[in-house]
Amino acid sequence: MNRLLYIFILSLVALFPADAFASEAEQGGSGVDAKEIIFEHLGDGYGWEVPFNHHVRIPLPVIVNGSDGWHVFSSAHLQHGEAYTDGSATFVIGGEDSDYKGKVVEIVNGQEVRPFDISITKNVCALFITVALVFGLMMWLASFYRRNGMKAPRRGLGAIEALLTFVYDGVIKSILGPDGRRFAPYLLTVFFLIFFMNILGLIVVFPGGANLTGNVAVTLTLATLTFLVTNVLATKHYWLEMFWPDVPVWLKFPLFPIMQLIEVFGMFTKPAALTVRLFANMMGGHMIVLVLTLLIFIFSGLFGAGVGAGTTVISMAFSIFMLLLDCLVSFIQAYVFTMLSTIFISLAQVHGHHEPQAAH
Amino acid sequence: MELFTPDFGLVFWMFVAFAVLFLLLWKLAWPGILKTVDSRADLIDKGVEYAQRAKEQLDNARAEAKGIIDEARRQQSDMIRESERLKSQLVEQARSEAKDAAQRELDAAKVQIAQQQKEAEHKFRSLVSELALDIAAKVVEDKMKDNSAQSELVNQLLDKIESKN
Repeated sequence: MNRLLYIFILSLVALFPADAFASEAEQGGSGVDAKEIIFEHLGDGYGWEVPFNHHVRIPLPVIVNGSDGWHVFSSAHLQHGEAYTDGSATFVIGGEDSDYKGKVVEIVNGQEVRPFDISITKNVCALFITVALVFGLMMWLASFYRRNGMKAPRRGLGAIEALLTFVYDGVIKSILGPDGRRFAPYLLTVFFLIFFMNILGLIVVFPGGANLTGNVAVTLTLATLTFLVTNVLATKHYWLEMFWPDVPVWLKFPLFPIMQLIEVFGMFTKPAALTVRLFANMMGGHMIVLVLTLLIFIFSGLFGAGVGAGTTVISMAFSIFMLLLDCLVSFIQAYVFTMLSTIFISLAQVHGHHEPQAAH
Repeated sequence: MELFTPDFGLVFWMFVAFAVLFLLLWKLAWPGILKTVDSRADLIDKGVEYAQRAKEQLDNARAEAKGIIDEARRQQSDMIRESERLKSQLVEQARSEAKDAAQRELDAAKVQIAQQQKEAEHKFRSLVSELALDIAAKVVEDKMKDNSAQSELVNQLLDKIESKN
């Protein structure tokens, strides 16, 4: 009975995007703009889509600093391209031909000016939900330990603990050694935040559906934090080895400036690699699922409903496969980000040759 | 193409949200969780070490018990051998004692026999000499009708006795 219920819910979820796009395709009449739909779903927005209706959105607060100070208002005022005047400033969401397409702009003397915008967009809201979720889960685990001592939790908490020990024992302690305890709070926070952002991104409806880790702003921030942790807490020997390595002076001579340049360059390529890896993997996963779903409408537009129906079966099979794969990728990418961060931190925890080596 | 150009608002909120989450968890959650996880790992390590030591001790105890049993067996066989030896020694001793006793009996018997022989000899001799004297007295009675003959005979007899002794 339970299994039947699962199958029913899953098929509803699988059908949902098909339904939403189908209604749009009927209204549009002339095929589908695949690129537009894909980027709309991958991108950010001032409202949150609701299932089965493409026009109603859950309104979210817009926070902008316009020409005359701060403005906070609901994004419901800006729906369907309407302009909203708050005090003396008028705001509108940039249209198709605007330089700031899809962003809130202020109309100043007939010109569109982009204000300082820290709105709670769909992505920011999803981020807050994820943060609350991670905080709740970790507090739950901590309180379980406080109440039950060293007893191992079961079921849901057991899974959280399994993830935690997998990363803590398998990555942090084994790479950083005794330094592990010092960096574990940062690395574990990063791991769980990325993991739950990835997983929530795969859920189609409300608390999920935001393509957070597939957004370069998020991964860039995380990579920058790793960069800061790595370099701010680096040991003296790390800087010494970078700028004045322990080799004879005559050997340093010809290539010395180039080597320093390469070292400094390497400092910045590491976070860049972190940024792009997570961003590209998650965005790629989302994009493939979207494209597979859109194939149904593209084919039915081109060859008629019969072909579209045939494509539905194949597309859904591939989409489900891709989503299952994305569940795995969600974990792997969070794991890889944490592992690479740990390695970068450990590379900066260089101790002198006479001191005991803590890492490597 | 906002996907590839980071949006400031999201960067700002991401930074703020992460900082808040990190500080909260750093203060409230991680110390307790990490302490428990670490101490449990220690406990498990210690448990494994303890089990290994216990197994070692058990193996040692087993070897020790085997040693004790072997020792007992050895002592047992020693005792059996010793008792065998004692038994045979006792038998031997008894035998030799019996032999000695028999020898002594024999010797005593021999001495007695010799004595009896001697006594018999004496008796026989005295009997013979009595008989001889009787015979001689008779013969002498017959012959000694005259004095000369008597004295001659006495001399002859005396000579004989002298030569005999």
